Amino acid sequence: MKLFGFLNLRGISGQIAALVVASIVAVHLIITATFLIHRPDQLDPPIAHRHSQLAAVAQLLDAAPAAGRPRLFADIARAFPQLDIESLPPGSAPVANETDGPNLRSLHRHLGSGYRVFSLGHDEDNRKVGIELPDGAMISAKILSDPWQRPFWRGPWMTTVLFAVICATLLGLWAARTLTAPLSSFAKAAESFSLNGGAAAPLPERGPEEIRSVAKALNRMRDRISTLIDDRTKMLAAISHDLRTPITRMRLRCEFIEDDAHRSRMLCDLDQMRSMLESVLSFLRNDQKLESMTLVDVASTLQLVTDQFADIGRKIAYDGPEHAMATVRPDDLHRSITNLVENAIRFGSEATIRLRISSDTVTIDVEDDGPGISDEHKDVMLEPFVRGDDARNMDEAAGFGLGLSIARSIVLAHGGQLSLNDRQPHGLIVRIQLPVRQQSRQAAA
Amino acid sequence: MSPAAPNILVVEDDRETRTLIAKYLRTNACNVTTANDGREMVRAMADHRVDLVILDVMLPGEDGLSLCRKVRAESQTPIIMLTARGEDVDRILGLEMGADDYLAKPFNPRELLARINAVLRRQTAALTVSLTNGATALTFLGWRIDFRLRELRNPAGARVSMTSAEFDLLRTLCERPGRVLSRDSLLDLTQGRNAGSLERSIDVLVSRIRRKIEADPQDATVIKTVRSGGYMFTPAVEAVTLPTDGYS
Repeated sequence: MKLFGFLNLRGISGQIAALVVASIVAVHLIITATFLIHRPDQLDPPIAHRHSQLAAVAQLLDAAPAAGRPRLFADIARAFPQLDIESLPPGSAPVANETDGPNLRSLHRHLGSGYRVFSLGHDEDNRKVGIELPDGAMISAKILSDPWQRPFWRGPWMTTVLFAVICATLLGLWAARTLTAPLSSFAKAAESFSLNGGAAAPLPERGPEEIRSVAKALNRMRDRISTLIDDRTKMLAAISHDLRTPITRMRLRCEFIEDDAHRSRMLCDLDQMRSMLESVLSFLRNDQKLESMTLVDVASTLQLVTDQFADIGRKIAYDGPEHAMATVRPDDLHRSITNLVENAIRFGSEATIRLRISSDTVTIDVEDDGPGISDEHKDVMLEPFVRGDDARNMDEAAGFGLGLSIARSIVLAHGGQLSLNDRQPHGLIVRIQLPVRQQSRQAAA
Repeated sequence: MSPAAPNILVVEDDRETRTLIAKYLRTNACNVTTANDGREMVRAMADHRVDLVILDVMLPGEDGLSLCRKVRAESQTPIIMLTARGEDVDRILGLEMGADDYLAKPFNPRELLARINAVLRRQTAALTVSLTNGATALTFLGWRIDFRLRELRNPAGARVSMTSAEFDLLRTLCERPGRVLSRDSLLDLTQGRNAGSLERSIDVLVSRIRRKIEADPQDATVIKTVRSGGYMFTPAVEAVTLPTDGYS
């Protein structure tokens, strides 16, 4: 069984073998047909026909008695005007017996021995030949030119061969592509496999057997990874969720701590824990539950964020119009701007929120005067659980590194874009661009 | 503060949290009873007068949301819900449940106290202000302030973001159009005086509200400053009552 495994046409080896065999057979057939159609010593039918006519004429003249020849000659010239037969004076033939070339050779074969054939030069289409009869009389006639003097690709057989070759090539390319297409689709599927991109379609399980089994294995692996991630996500969510109860208790206990300094420090720690939990929960929640879109005065949201940070003593400014309407998810937008401002004041000493609105886009810039992010780190920083590598901030255990990626997923869910840009002379500008999608809606009541 | 200490019922299934809330509220001049679940809550409410219920959403047996609806169907007792962050907020404050306020766990206890005071004050005030009795929203100059969704929408229908302190202040002003309200009375009506330094001063809140609703914040026409008096809400206010509610 194993020995003839390559005969199994369902396998990739069998299919490739079949393809090769089929191609070789096709090429053989084409070449054989070519040889059958075009034997090198056989001339084209019209040429051969002309030759036999001419040979018959020469033999007829030879057989006729010398006295009757002129009359016969005239009759023949009338009967075969295309041969353009003329009588030549004896002795005008070249000494050499020019029977080179298939044209003259073929003619000579028709005539038989005793005749001499020689060339008398040729014009475009016709060739003038002379024939010396065995008795020394000479005639000249026109025959068609040698076939090889025409461009070879103009021959009908050549067109056929070219056509066949092109067809075989295209067929081969198509077959090879069909065989390897599943492999390229694997590559694509593996590239686009993302853990938070939701359910992508499973790989199609078709093609040769090996590829089908690879597709099955990949699909199973994908399922296992998704299950694993789902379980981890659920666990993380459950932990974060459950931690809220002890944090709530601790916050309450804090109120009974007499020492003010201790209490405020503990409140500070608890606040940090709370904000970390919230960021995890909001990150995990993001692809599941979406707030509904509504028309919002985006400027008021930005002013609100500015006020909230100003209230806890941060240097922050808002620069933009007093009002700007856009259709967004208000709480999500608030959260993403808050995250960006938190980052901005963590890495810089002051932050600025800028708002520009055009007919179709809202552009929100959150600027800081911190060290900024180098170009090679910009993409990495957008990934979840990646924190700024600024050492002085590490001991403050600022967060999980989710702020920016949460902000970005919120912006992407709005159909917008978030980009990191350099600020001059130093610092970072996080730019959010959102589509406006404004509907002029009347206020209810 | 009200002359008499308010009776507050804490419905929370986590024993530690429940006792801690009770202890904290007692140290802040409240009478507190506690309940572990819905059954105990109903018993406690039948047993004595309850001025305000603090209700956890996640409860064993009947959950907080349906308990909230139940209480609403029978009485006007104010309810503050304790919830997980951002979950079901629309339902809690919206048409279905009609809680008066909510706090996300883990909450700041001082914030809880401030909300309790604000809700109780609103409750007392609402009994004297006829305009807002039964109203779920007020409109002025095309603006709409919705109490249950706790949102403000401008004449174009766009939601305007506000902090809850700003919202409470605007609501208090809206409920009393054409009356001069001193800073002290505004503070009493919104935050209570013992709210602490956490809250912003009335002046700051007013200037922030003005920036959001006034056409020209420098020349305020909606919320006018009355010299040496306080503030006055000038536009005409109309109440919006949704007829299908089971409560007001």
